[in-house]
Amino acid sequence: MLRFLIRRTLGAAVILLIISALVFVLFYAAPRDPARIACGKVCTPETLALVKKNLGIDHPLPVQYWDWLKGLFVGRDYTAFGHCDAPCLGYSFQNREPVLNTILDRFPATISLALGSSAVFLIFGIGTGMLAAVKQGKTLDKVASSASLIASSMQIYVVGVFATYLFVDQLHWLDRANYTPFTDNPGAWAKGLLVPWLVLSLIFTANYTRMTRSQMVESLSEDYVRTARAKGLSRRTVFFRFAWRGAMGPIVTIFGLDLGTLLGGAIITEQTFSIQGLGRLSVKAVSTNDLPMLLGVVLVAAAAIVVFNIIVDAVYALIDPRVRLA
Amino acid sequence: MSLSRRNFVIATSVAAAGSTLLSACSSGNAGGGSGSTPSDGATSYTGAKVTVGTKEDSTGPAPEIAGAKKGGTIYGLAPDDFSHLDPQRIYYAYNSTVALLLHRCLTGYKIDSTGHQKLVGDLATDTGTASADNKTWTFTLKEGLKWEDGTELTVEDVRHGIERSWASFITEGANYVQSALTGKGGKWRDAYEGPYKGKHLSQIVTDKAKRTITFKLAEAKPDFNFTLAMHSYAAVSPKLDTKEKYDKKPAACGPYKIKAHTTDKSMVLTRNKNWDPATDSIRNAYPDGFEFDFGIETLDSTDRLIADQGKDQYAVSIYKGVPAERIQKVLTDPELKKRSFNGLLTGIYYYAINTKRVTDLKVRQALNHAWPLQQIRQIYGGPSAGDFATSILSPDVIGYKKYDAYGKLKTPQGDPAAAKKLLKEAGKEGMKIVYAYPQDPTYDKTKVVIENALKAAGFTPVIKPVDSTSYYDQIQQVDNSYDVMWFGWSPDWPTAYTVVQPLFDGGAIGNGMNNISQTDVSWINDGIKKNAVIADQAKAGEAWQALDERIMKEVAPIIPETFSRRYYVYGSKVGGAQFDPNFSATLLYKTFVKA
Amino acid sequence: MSTPFLSVRDLRVHFSTHDGVVKAVDGLSFDLQKGRTLGIVGESGSGKSVTNMAILGLHDPRNTTMDGEILLDGKELITAGERELEELRGNKMSMIFQDALASLSPYHTIGAQIAETYRKHTGASKREARARAVEMLRRVGIPQPDIRVDDYPHQFSGGMRQRAMIAMALVCDPELLIADEPTTALDVTVQAQIMDLLKDLQQEFGTAIIFITHDLGVIADIADDVLVMYGGRCVEKGSKKSVLTMPEHPYTLGLLGSMPSLDGPVDVPLSPIPGSPPSLLNPPSGCRFHPRCPFAEKVSGGLCSTERPALEITDGRGSACHLTPEQKSELFADYATSRTN
Repeated sequence: MLRFLIRRTLGAAVILLIISALVFVLFYAAPRDPARIACGKVCTPETLALVKKNLGIDHPLPVQYWDWLKGLFVGRDYTAFGHCDAPCLGYSFQNREPVLNTILDRFPATISLALGSSAVFLIFGIGTGMLAAVKQGKTLDKVASSASLIASSMQIYVVGVFATYLFVDQLHWLDRANYTPFTDNPGAWAKGLLVPWLVLSLIFTANYTRMTRSQMVESLSEDYVRTARAKGLSRRTVFFRFAWRGAMGPIVTIFGLDLGTLLGGAIITEQTFSIQGLGRLSVKAVSTNDLPMLLGVVLVAAAAIVVFNIIVDAVYALIDPRVRLA
Repeated sequence: MSLSRRNFVIATSVAAAGSTLLSACSSGNAGGGSGSTPSDGATSYTGAKVTVGTKEDSTGPAPEIAGAKKGGTIYGLAPDDFSHLDPQRIYYAYNSTVALLLHRCLTGYKIDSTGHQKLVGDLATDTGTASADNKTWTFTLKEGLKWEDGTELTVEDVRHGIERSWASFITEGANYVQSALTGKGGKWRDAYEGPYKGKHLSQIVTDKAKRTITFKLAEAKPDFNFTLAMHSYAAVSPKLDTKEKYDKKPAACGPYKIKAHTTDKSMVLTRNKNWDPATDSIRNAYPDGFEFDFGIETLDSTDRLIADQGKDQYAVSIYKGVPAERIQKVLTDPELKKRSFNGLLTGIYYYAINTKRVTDLKVRQALNHAWPLQQIRQIYGGPSAGDFATSILSPDVIGYKKYDAYGKLKTPQGDPAAAKKLLKEAGKEGMKIVYAYPQDPTYDKTKVVIENALKAAGFTPVIKPVDSTSYYDQIQQVDNSYDVMWFGWSPDWPTAYTVVQPLFDGGAIGNGMNNISQTDVSWINDGIKKNAVIADQAKAGEAWQALDERIMKEVAPIIPETFSRRYYVYGSKVGGAQFDPNFSATLLYKTFVKA
Repeated sequence: MSTPFLSVRDLRVHFSTHDGVVKAVDGLSFDLQKGRTLGIVGESGSGKSVTNMAILGLHDPRNTTMDGEILLDGKELITAGERELEELRGNKMSMIFQDALASLSPYHTIGAQIAETYRKHTGASKREARARAVEMLRRVGIPQPDIRVDDYPHQFSGGMRQRAMIAMALVCDPELLIADEPTTALDVTVQAQIMDLLKDLQQEFGTAIIFITHDLGVIADIADDVLVMYGGRCVEKGSKKSVLTMPEHPYTLGLLGSMPSLDGPVDVPLSPIPGSPPSLLNPPSGCRFHPRCPFAEKVSGGLCSTERPALEITDGRGSACHLTPEQKSELFADYATSRTN
């Protein structure tokens, strides 16, 4: 396992490196000049040159990339900002704040959103899926399946606005969506994120219900489940220790990947509920051609996905003893 | 960021006059103002008068607002934080909304409850004195001006504010004063190295004892005192100048100062105890403070204001209007209408006709007849989206007068018959017309109705969508291959020079410049020169208006389209909320908390 | 004759499917004494596995109807509640399956799987159960049982795996063991070992064994009595010797004839039974075998296609066939001679 982890971690580092280089290239391949955008309304050639110098983009691409890369490991010096300690992700073109600080500031909101909604959709999705598998063919199963289909076709920005209108403004059952750091006030943190959690988890719940149901149905028809029953084990033991164990693998895998993606930011959810997470940060970075911020956010999101890929593979090996970690 | 891209042209040239972004209002029709209704919110502005105020008008305190009381906190919602707080780096309108609370310039606009405004002295005792040739301007500073730390605000601070725009880290502000002082046009940076090494601009003369500051301009600028009202020229104390850091935490001389600021999250303003209301004829300061929340998407903030719950009852949207999805609701719900206001954005949207390619006046007039203003406006959202434009000057410019050279107000859907007739006379039936526009979901829709209208009028339209990020670069090429180009223009201060000169002066033709209709007519060029030196702005306004009308009737280099309108909603316990005619936002310094 | 340990009376198992009712077992009866081995023989679809599952009550009640009677040591099983059945399964009656790899959980060690059955039924501690598991593995002949007890099924060879499954089935000393084709997937030498193991264990514990197979050679080896199933019904029953040497049903005859014989002539062609197994959805009327029976026309009155032949048992021997004993001795003898010549 240790060798596997080391090898994959190194692989991940290489991937992230390639991604960062790609972002650089793609960024400059786009027709928009970040200097122009940061330049403001009156952009003479002289002003443009000054802006380029201030932003640090008056060097050729490879030099810029190298400077950025160096900054990651040993820090970097800026004329305007002074020294930036490693890992230095640079300063945002847009608000001239350190990128790392901004990302660290937004990350908790994204994590909160990801973990909270994960809890919701795992509980409801897997739970409903299990119920549907047990009551195969009966009304509950059919209702669950149809509900899943409807839920998975929902759009967050529609449901979100509607949910806020109904549950917050009209019925006053729930609090308006807002982000309070957990460390400040756990109660307010949960209350403010409840609506976004529920809405974001809608789509996932549907997927997990269907996935769990089909995996469980398949698993329940496995021979070793029949054996377990033949040994006189209770229905519940058979269901959870054997059938669920068999179904778990693919579900855990998908969850790992979903979680990795969610940690990169849930753009539409954050936008709908005005939550300042990585998702909105990335949208802003793209629309304002903010290269340092873009690099930072892309790297974080990519790292999350890559790390979770590794975790998922490792966990799968733990779940299924037949799997050998390559 | 948002305002500029969407509503205003990014002017790329700086030279002579300028691109102005601004506002000001002009008299509605000759003689009285257009219907002025009390500023209860439900007013519909059609343009307001801009005049130059007297010393009396410049003397504080600002007039009381009926029913207003001191105290409480007003909350502001916005999707983005202000990108710059350093006044020399402020150019976009949304940054000016908070700058009004913190910074002061030599001059400013005193706005009444109906949106009519006067240019008055803010730091200065009046609107300044110009020499006979309008090349020398002198201002006297008021007494009792202080910074938030209690130190005195002097003429040297005013000078410093202008001189520091030469700093290498300041690249975002306006350029007019710099060009006017140095006479070097776009190369004004070469003339001076900035104030940080102890050198000063010889063109600015200060007398600390007499509290005077004199500007020696290279060219005549009768409206220089309007230019100085821009936040780019606000005062900064050399002792309090923290250079790059100033952009996050500037020192205030206005009624409020920054108590706390978490970038992109929130900002708290509290009273600046060292601001003396007796020195300020423009601003009221009823709330004890403001609390701004950033990161609130526009739809979300609008819904919150509509729901009017809890703290939102004391909230306003700082600079984002009601989005299209909620306009209907605001217009039709009487309760909401009561706590809303609206106004016209400064400037005009129009279509420039490339007169070097479309050389026949009759054809250009035919285009004006044919253009489907109503269908276009329908796509923008209907009548609430704005008013039909039929002139070069917009209602916010001094001298504006409504006239309709091509009967567009009678037949806003276009008059294909009239167009066809003109085409026939010109012998140009079936003429090919290449129409260019920036690719964007809205303009992808309007191009359809434009194409249909052109066909109906006997033209052969060729539609050319252009990538929006390089649109201006392309249409500002002198040898481009477009006949009609979508465009928009907004003045930086409300005198017509800032509109007519950059858009129609023969000398303003060139790559990267804004006379994209490439109009070069001697009587227009002469008219511009003549009107530019009329000292009395009201008289100048009349002259400009006459020029406007003549240009449209005898040259027709553009097809005017829209004066855009924006709506705002505010919480039920907010009093005094009104439309800021200069920045198209909520005028924060007029607000108060209702009991 | 003492009451049989296991008594199956007129067992009917019907599955409701989309296409209709499948009559998988249609009136099966047999007895089994302790210490005896009953071999159930038949082709796939004959209902043999369904019978086993029915005894253990493992069918899905949502789409299965069971009628008849199954008495295990006096306890009726069809009407028994799930709880009671759970008590009995793995404890008093156990089952071993054909594919040990698929039938053992890949996620748990062999030791854990054996131990859990033991703990469930005896309440033993983890340590006791593990010791018991090691002992069971030793008993079924797995070398180094104390190490292998922590291995996963996929780490065992085929034969060892089957032994482990037997260990798991026997951990609570069941009185009835049902072996559902446990050696079909194994090679001949391993097969022989497993069979020996079972015989030894039966010797030691007096377990009643039901051994299901389609392989007559296995039957010849291990069974005391034989039950031949076809189309969900019993077509012949009797002691191993009598059934295999003197079959009383054309199907049994066919089975025997289709087997290669080690000591018979080499050049005699194999004669598989023509046709294919009957549809259980729409079974043939009358005798289910009649469409493939070479002697169906010999029966007067065309009874074979109209009337279900009754299973007549005398002294534990009988068959369900319309042919008279005289016809049988005549026809079968021909058949037999054609085989041995």
